[in-house]
Amino acid sequence: MAGKSGRSINNVPENPIKHMLLSWEGILVVLFIAVNIFCIWFSEFYNVSSVLRQMPVYLAEVFLMLTMAFILVLGEIDISVGSIVCLSATISCIVCNSGAPFIIVILTALAVGTVCGAINGLILTNFPELPPMIVTLATQIIFRGIAEIVLGSGGSISLSNTAGFKAIAGKVGKVPYILFLVLILGVIAAIILGKSTFGRKVYAIGTNRVTAHYSGIHVQKIRFIIYTVMGTISGLCALFIVSSSYGANTTTGEGFEMDAIAMAVFGGISSTGGKGNIAGGIIAAFIIVCLRIGLGQRNVHSQVILLIIGLLLVLAVALPNIVSQIQKAAKVKKS
Amino acid sequence: MENKSLMKKITGSREALLAVILILMIVIVTIINPAFFTPKSISNLVKNNAVTMVMALGMLCVMLVGGIDISITSTLALAGMAIGMLIKYEYISSTVLAFLIAIAIGIACGLVVGLVISRADVPPIIATMGFMYVYRAMAYLISNGGEWASASALGTFKDFGTSKFLGLNCVVWVVIVCYVIFFFFMKWTRTGRKIYAVGSNPEAAEVSGINVRNIKLMVYTIMGCLAGLAGALQVAVYASAMPNMQKGGEMDVIAACVIGGVSMSGGRGSVVGALLGALILATIAKALPLIPFFDQLWLNTIKGILILVVVVMNVILQRTADNNALKRREM
Repeated sequence: MAGKSGRSINNVPENPIKHMLLSWEGILVVLFIAVNIFCIWFSEFYNVSSVLRQMPVYLAEVFLMLTMAFILVLGEIDISVGSIVCLSATISCIVCNSGAPFIIVILTALAVGTVCGAINGLILTNFPELPPMIVTLATQIIFRGIAEIVLGSGGSISLSNTAGFKAIAGKVGKVPYILFLVLILGVIAAIILGKSTFGRKVYAIGTNRVTAHYSGIHVQKIRFIIYTVMGTISGLCALFIVSSSYGANTTTGEGFEMDAIAMAVFGGISSTGGKGNIAGGIIAAFIIVCLRIGLGQRNVHSQVILLIIGLLLVLAVALPNIVSQIQKAAKVKKS
Repeated sequence: MENKSLMKKITGSREALLAVILILMIVIVTIINPAFFTPKSISNLVKNNAVTMVMALGMLCVMLVGGIDISITSTLALAGMAIGMLIKYEYISSTVLAFLIAIAIGIACGLVVGLVISRADVPPIIATMGFMYVYRAMAYLISNGGEWASASALGTFKDFGTSKFLGLNCVVWVVIVCYVIFFFFMKWTRTGRKIYAVGSNPEAAEVSGINVRNIKLMVYTIMGCLAGLAGALQVAVYASAMPNMQKGGEMDVIAACVIGGVSMSGGRGSVVGALLGALILATIAKALPLIPFFDQLWLNTIKGILILVVVVMNVILQRTADNNALKRREM
């Protein structure tokens, strides 16, 4: 508790359990359990093994959420990731069809993503005045445009050799590799953002860029690294997308950027910067994945699922603001 | 400073520069293919891009207050689909009524978005992203899960897209009227100037007695109103209504505004700029197939590079201007 001087920063809550439950992550955990109970009631096919079987398609987007969280904490946005996924998937399919060993295919996908991310980063760090939304809007159109040119008039490519991609879509028992990868990368991302100096710098930039700059943080260097890694992770996402669809077309990855942002924002990561953590994002991602699987099993139209996600997204951001406004108004009345 | 050369005047004003680029493009394309520059083809160009051009006006207002709206094409789909279904199942047959219903739906959609943004302080990109999903899904739901209203079902409504008034296509008239109204609205009315004031400095605007929240609410409502109108135009021009119409088209609208010199951070931009931006984009799309070597596949890449070049050029020009101003002060 803050002392009389107001200088103490040792802000330990009186009741840790109550504090945890009232935090956004606590609410999300409760919501996660509620969604699962609802899905079990709603669909007779909803159980652990069916969820694990259907999960990989949706999990590929969770990768994007992990790095998108960093960008949102910076107070920025990257809407080009869906197009990077498309370009990366297209080129890795072509490389795979040319008979290259699978390790080369993986490296190509990651390299294409990294280059695309680095292009975003280079433009944004050389012209820091530019809003990231506009730059990534332009590169979103360009990257998908390049994929369209590469794919030619047919607009799609399918794998002739699926062995390698089948391997990465494999499972340990019933658990797909991708779930392990998501959890491992999630823990790594959480440690980097929450515990490392790099993460603290990211929060500092997101809270106040000018102050961060004056206190000696290399703002542009950090932005460049984050945008480049975002590209690399998009390449990784592309690999898993190809491993579930065995091909790519001009609409691959369309809307992924919005899904990734939705997961992160729903998880309490503010798009205005400096707020939120990876744990919230991951729980929110799994809520959305479970909801999609559960509703999808009973043939609920995907648009209805999007409607629910859209409403959840708006409510998740609007409700805390409204509550705090009401509290403020009540305080003013009291005093 | 008085005797600015013509060259400087042109490079100094964004609109003039854009107009020069547009004229150059038209001249070059006309030399390659004379069929490009005929009254009929220009009228068709405007007609086919009417949707983007009308929505660019709303996006201009939204971007002037420093916001963004990516839910507009979903609003368009909802409004267009609603009147499509109403006409198909013969609840209404009057064209005017259809337009009014579409606009009313648009206003309602915009009002909800505006309320969430201005009253609950949700960042515009997040709020409109949410409503992008919601309105698109509602368009699917009212279409009975993906049903179309095709040309044969649309009765007399589709004639609006082909009928003429005073020798010009009606759709072109709608676009012209919208632009004239907005030109005066943004330049000479009090409310129009308030939008600029809020965009350039919200705190100063608040202090000088402008209700910033209401202005924000108003711009999103205007945006919704124009998106609704665009929905009716879309159905009329393409003589069909389907739930996924114009998906992704919001990026074209934003691109038109950005090329036209509207700043994302607010306060900068004009109706003429938005018009030129939309026309430049439309001309590129139309001219590309006419030029040998380039084919339609290159369209998006060129569009993206153009946006990038324009915004980067803008920053470089701004930097040199700032540098020059600094130098002058040092003297």
